[in-house]
Amino acid sequence: MTETTPLPPDVLITRTIEAPRELVFAAFTDARHLAQWWGPEGFTTPDATADARPGGAMRLDMHSPDGTVFLGGGTYHEITPPERLVFSTTILDDAGGTLAEFRNTLTLVERDGKTELTLSIQGVYASPVVAHYLADMEEGWTSSLVCLAEYLAR
Amino acid sequence: MATDRLSATFGALADPTRRAILARLALGESSVTELAAPFSISLPAVTKHLKVLQQAGLITRGRHAQWRPCRIEAQTLRAAADWMEPYRRIWEAKLDRLDDYLRVVQTHEHKESLDD
Repeated sequence: MTETTPLPPDVLITRTIEAPRELVFAAFTDARHLAQWWGPEGFTTPDATADARPGGAMRLDMHSPDGTVFLGGGTYHEITPPERLVFSTTILDDAGGTLAEFRNTLTLVERDGKTELTLSIQGVYASPVVAHYLADMEEGWTSSLVCLAEYLAR
Repeated sequence: MATDRLSATFGALADPTRRAILARLALGESSVTELAAPFSISLPAVTKHLKVLQQAGLITRGRHAQWRPCRIEAQTLRAAADWMEPYRRIWEAKLDRLDDYLRVVQTHEHKESLDD
Protein backbone atom coordinates (compact mmCIF):
# COMPACT_ATOMS: atom_id res chain seq x y z
CA MET A 1 0.00 0.00 0.00
CA THR A 2 1.16 3.54 -0.74
CA GLU A 3 2.30 5.60 2.22
CA THR A 4 -0.41 7.90 3.48
CA THR A 5 0.09 11.34 4.93
CA PRO A 6 -0.44 11.44 8.71
CA LEU A 7 -3.60 13.47 9.16
CA PRO A 8 -6.19 13.57 11.90
CA PRO A 9 -7.93 11.33 12.93
CA ASP A 10 -4.81 9.13 12.65
CA VAL A 11 -3.15 8.48 15.95
CA LEU A 12 0.62 8.86 16.07
CA ILE A 13 2.54 7.61 19.12
CA THR A 14 6.31 7.86 19.53
CA ARG A 15 8.29 6.25 22.34
CA THR A 16 11.85 5.42 23.23
CA ILE A 17 12.05 1.83 24.47
CA GLU A 18 15.10 0.71 26.45
CA ALA A 19 15.72 -2.40 24.39
CA PRO A 20 17.39 -3.32 21.09
CA ARG A 21 15.01 -3.19 18.18
CA GLU A 22 15.27 -6.92 17.38
CA LEU A 23 13.71 -7.53 20.77
CA VAL A 24 11.04 -4.85 20.32
CA PHE A 25 10.20 -6.32 16.92
CA ALA A 26 9.95 -9.81 18.43
CA ALA A 27 7.61 -8.44 21.10
CA PHE A 28 5.11 -7.67 18.30
CA THR A 29 5.55 -10.89 16.33
CA ASP A 30 6.13 -13.67 18.89
CA ALA A 31 3.03 -14.89 20.75
CA ARG A 32 5.11 -15.76 23.83
CA HIS A 33 6.06 -12.10 24.14
CA LEU A 34 2.61 -10.77 23.19
CA ALA A 35 1.01 -12.86 25.95
CA GLN A 36 3.22 -11.05 28.48
CA TRP A 37 2.50 -7.43 27.58
CA TRP A 38 -0.51 -7.09 25.27
CA GLY A 39 -3.16 -5.17 27.16
CA PRO A 40 -3.04 -2.31 29.65
CA GLU A 41 -1.74 -2.83 33.20
CA GLY A 42 -3.87 -5.38 35.06
CA PHE A 43 -5.08 -7.11 31.88
CA THR A 44 -3.80 -10.50 30.77
CA THR A 45 -3.70 -12.08 27.32
CA PRO A 46 -2.89 -15.70 28.15
CA ASP A 47 -3.97 -17.32 24.87
CA ALA A 48 -2.19 -15.01 22.42
CA THR A 49 -1.44 -16.46 19.01
CA ALA A 50 0.54 -14.79 16.24
CA ASP A 51 1.24 -16.12 12.76
CA ALA A 52 3.79 -13.50 11.77
CA ARG A 53 3.80 -13.66 7.98
CA PRO A 54 1.89 -11.55 5.44
CA GLY A 55 -1.79 -12.48 5.74
CA GLY A 56 -1.13 -14.40 8.97
CA ALA A 57 -3.63 -14.04 11.80
CA MET A 58 -3.20 -12.97 15.40
CA ARG A 59 -5.59 -13.64 18.25
CA LEU A 60 -5.39 -11.40 21.29
CA ASP A 61 -8.21 -11.85 23.81
CA MET A 62 -7.69 -9.54 26.77
CA HIS A 63 -8.93 -10.48 30.22
CA SER A 64 -9.68 -7.41 32.33
CA PRO A 65 -8.98 -7.31 36.08
CA ASP A 66 -12.70 -7.87 36.81
CA GLY A 67 -12.80 -10.95 34.56
CA THR A 68 -14.39 -9.39 31.47
CA VAL A 69 -12.90 -10.80 28.28
CA PHE A 70 -12.43 -8.41 25.36
CA LEU A 71 -12.04 -10.46 22.21
CA GLY A 72 -9.49 -9.22 19.75
CA GLY A 73 -7.83 -10.36 16.58
CA GLY A 74 -5.59 -9.09 13.87
CA THR A 75 -3.74 -9.74 10.66
CA TYR A 76 -0.12 -9.12 9.73
CA HIS A 77 0.24 -7.29 6.42
CA GLU A 78 3.87 -6.28 5.94
CA ILE A 79 6.77 -7.73 7.89
CA THR A 80 10.24 -6.20 7.52
CA PRO A 81 12.37 -7.31 10.48
CA PRO A 82 13.51 -5.57 12.54
CA GLU A 83 12.38 -2.18 11.30
CA ARG A 84 8.79 -2.12 10.07
CA LEU A 85 5.56 -3.94 10.68
CA VAL A 86 2.11 -3.25 9.27
CA PHE A 87 -0.72 -5.09 10.98
CA SER A 88 -4.41 -4.64 11.53
CA THR A 89 -6.12 -5.16 14.86
CA THR A 90 -9.79 -5.86 15.40
CA ILE A 91 -12.19 -5.68 18.32
CA LEU A 92 -14.62 -8.61 18.11
CA ASP A 93 -18.05 -9.30 19.56
CA ASP A 94 -18.96 -12.60 21.27
CA ALA A 95 -19.99 -14.11 17.93
CA GLY A 96 -16.64 -13.20 16.39
CA GLY A 97 -18.08 -10.31 14.38
CA THR A 98 -15.87 -7.27 13.84
CA LEU A 99 -16.82 -4.26 15.96
CA ALA A 100 -13.86 -2.15 14.94
CA GLU A 101 -10.75 -2.46 12.83
CA PHE A 102 -7.56 -0.44 12.90
CA ARG A 103 -4.50 -0.45 10.65
CA ASN A 104 -1.26 -0.05 12.57
CA THR A 105 2.15 0.82 11.15
CA LEU A 106 5.07 0.25 13.49
CA THR A 107 8.48 1.72 12.70
CA LEU A 108 11.55 0.95 14.81
CA VAL A 109 14.82 2.90 14.67
CA GLU A 110 17.76 1.87 16.84
CA ARG A 111 19.77 4.61 18.53
CA ASP A 112 22.47 4.00 21.13
CA GLY A 113 21.11 0.57 21.98
CA LYS A 114 17.61 1.94 22.52
CA THR A 115 14.71 1.82 20.11
CA GLU A 116 12.72 4.76 18.86
CA LEU A 117 9.25 3.38 18.27
CA THR A 118 6.68 5.10 16.08
CA LEU A 119 3.18 3.70 15.88
CA SER A 120 0.72 5.16 13.42
CA ILE A 121 -2.88 4.01 13.79
CA GLN A 122 -5.62 4.52 11.22
CA GLY A 123 -9.26 3.70 11.80
CA VAL A 124 -10.63 1.31 9.18
CA TYR A 125 -14.07 0.39 10.44
CA ALA A 126 -16.28 1.17 13.42
CA SER A 127 -19.63 -0.48 14.14
CA PRO A 128 -22.31 1.45 16.02
CA VAL A 129 -21.77 -0.32 19.37
CA VAL A 130 -18.01 -0.21 19.62
CA ALA A 131 -17.76 3.10 21.49
CA HIS A 132 -19.23 1.31 24.55
CA TYR A 133 -16.64 -1.45 24.26
CA LEU A 134 -13.78 1.02 24.18
CA ALA A 135 -15.27 2.87 27.15
CA ASP A 136 -15.62 -0.40 29.13
CA MET A 137 -12.10 -1.43 28.26
CA GLU A 138 -10.78 1.92 29.34
CA GLU A 139 -12.74 1.79 32.59
CA GLY A 140 -11.20 -1.62 33.22
CA TRP A 141 -7.63 -0.40 33.04
CA THR A 142 -8.26 3.00 34.59
CA SER A 143 -9.77 1.28 37.63
CA SER A 144 -6.83 -1.11 37.82
CA LEU A 145 -4.46 1.90 37.77
CA VAL A 146 -6.51 3.50 40.55
CA CYS A 147 -6.23 0.25 42.56
CA LEU A 148 -2.48 0.26 42.01
CA ALA A 149 -2.17 3.90 43.06
CA GLU A 150 -4.23 3.21 46.19
CA TYR A 151 -2.10 0.17 46.97
CA LEU A 152 1.12 2.12 46.54
CA ALA A 153 -0.21 4.95 48.73
CA ARG A 154 -0.84 2.63 51.68
CA MET B 1 -21.55 11.35 15.27
CA ALA B 2 -23.25 8.14 14.12
CA THR B 3 -20.72 5.37 13.71
CA ASP B 4 -21.84 4.36 10.21
CA ARG B 5 -20.75 7.89 9.32
CA LEU B 6 -17.50 7.15 11.11
CA SER B 7 -16.81 4.10 8.94
CA ALA B 8 -17.55 6.24 5.88
CA THR B 9 -15.01 8.76 7.17
CA PHE B 10 -12.39 6.03 7.68
CA GLY B 11 -13.15 4.59 4.25
CA ALA B 12 -12.74 7.99 2.62
CA LEU B 13 -9.42 8.51 4.44
CA ALA B 14 -8.02 5.13 3.37
CA ASP B 15 -7.00 6.50 -0.02
CA PRO B 16 -3.70 8.41 -0.34
CA THR B 17 -5.04 10.76 -3.06
CA ARG B 18 -8.00 11.73 -0.92
CA ARG B 19 -5.67 12.34 2.01
CA ALA B 20 -3.51 14.57 -0.14
CA ILE B 21 -6.61 16.47 -1.28
CA LEU B 22 -7.63 17.00 2.35
CA ALA B 23 -4.12 18.09 3.31
CA ARG B 24 -4.32 20.69 0.52
CA LEU B 25 -7.77 21.82 1.64
CA ALA B 26 -6.54 22.22 5.20
CA LEU B 27 -4.63 25.24 3.85
CA GLY B 28 -7.76 26.86 2.45
CA GLU B 29 -10.65 26.39 0.02
CA SER B 30 -9.82 25.47 -3.50
CA SER B 31 -11.31 24.78 -6.92
CA VAL B 32 -11.41 21.32 -8.49
CA THR B 33 -8.90 22.42 -11.14
CA GLU B 34 -6.48 23.66 -8.47
CA LEU B 35 -6.90 20.42 -6.53
CA ALA B 36 -6.25 18.29 -9.61
CA ALA B 37 -3.05 20.15 -10.58
CA PRO B 38 -0.53 18.23 -8.38
CA PHE B 39 -1.91 14.81 -9.36
CA SER B 40 -1.30 12.78 -12.47
CA ILE B 41 -4.97 11.84 -12.66
CA SER B 42 -7.82 13.17 -14.76
CA LEU B 43 -10.27 15.81 -13.66
CA PRO B 44 -13.17 13.27 -13.60
CA ALA B 45 -11.07 11.04 -11.30
CA VAL B 46 -10.53 13.96 -8.94
CA THR B 47 -14.25 14.73 -9.06
CA LYS B 48 -14.95 11.11 -8.08
CA HIS B 49 -12.64 11.41 -5.05
CA LEU B 50 -14.33 14.67 -4.08
CA LYS B 51 -17.71 12.95 -4.17
CA VAL B 52 -16.46 10.28 -1.74
CA LEU B 53 -15.09 12.98 0.57
CA GLN B 54 -18.33 14.90 0.32
CA GLN B 55 -20.47 11.84 1.10
CA ALA B 56 -18.30 11.15 4.14
CA GLY B 57 -18.91 14.71 5.31
CA LEU B 58 -15.23 15.58 5.06
CA ILE B 59 -15.70 18.40 2.57
CA THR B 60 -18.47 20.66 1.36
CA ARG B 61 -18.71 22.43 -1.96
CA GLY B 62 -19.96 25.95 -2.46
CA ARG B 63 -23.32 26.28 -4.18
CA HIS B 64 -23.26 29.83 -5.39
CA ALA B 65 -19.91 30.58 -6.93
CA GLN B 66 -19.61 29.12 -10.42
CA TRP B 67 -16.31 27.36 -9.54
CA ARG B 68 -17.97 25.65 -6.55
CA PRO B 69 -15.02 25.84 -4.15
CA CYS B 70 -14.22 22.82 -1.98
CA ARG B 71 -13.89 23.38 1.73
CA ILE B 72 -12.68 20.98 4.43
CA GLU B 73 -15.16 20.10 7.18
CA ALA B 74 -12.87 20.11 10.19
CA GLN B 75 -15.71 19.03 12.48
CA THR B 76 -15.97 15.61 10.82
CA LEU B 77 -12.23 15.02 11.20
CA ARG B 78 -12.39 16.19 14.80
CA ALA B 79 -15.29 13.84 15.61
CA ALA B 80 -13.33 10.90 14.16
CA ALA B 81 -10.22 11.98 16.11
CA ASP B 82 -12.32 12.16 19.31
CA TRP B 83 -13.58 8.64 18.63
CA MET B 84 -9.99 7.38 18.25
CA GLU B 85 -8.88 9.02 21.52
CA PRO B 86 -9.75 6.13 23.92
CA TYR B 87 -8.00 3.71 21.57
CA ARG B 88 -4.91 5.94 21.65
CA ARG B 89 -4.96 5.91 25.47
CA ILE B 90 -5.27 2.11 25.49
CA TRP B 91 -2.23 1.88 23.20
CA GLU B 92 -0.26 4.29 25.42
CA ALA B 93 -1.04 2.02 28.37
CA LYS B 94 -0.01 -1.06 26.40
CA LEU B 95 3.30 0.52 25.39
CA ASP B 96 3.98 1.41 29.05
CA ARG B 97 3.66 -2.28 29.76
CA LEU B 98 5.79 -3.26 26.79
CA ASP B 99 8.56 -0.99 28.06
CA ASP B 100 8.36 -2.49 31.58
CA TYR B 101 8.21 -6.03 30.21
CA LEU B 102 11.23 -5.65 27.94
CA ARG B 103 13.30 -4.24 30.82
CA VAL B 104 12.51 -7.35 32.87
CA VAL B 105 13.20 -9.69 29.93
CA GLN B 106 16.64 -8.16 29.43
CA THR B 107 17.49 -8.49 33.11
CA HIS B 108 16.57 -12.19 32.96
CA GLU B 109 18.55 -12.74 29.78
CA HIS B 110 21.47 -11.03 31.43
CA LYS B 111 21.18 -13.30 34.48
CA GLU B 112 20.88 -16.39 32.33
CA SER B 113 23.98 -15.49 30.37
CA LEU B 114 25.82 -15.00 33.67
CA ASP B 115 24.68 -18.44 34.81
CA ASP B 116 26.09 -20.06 31.67
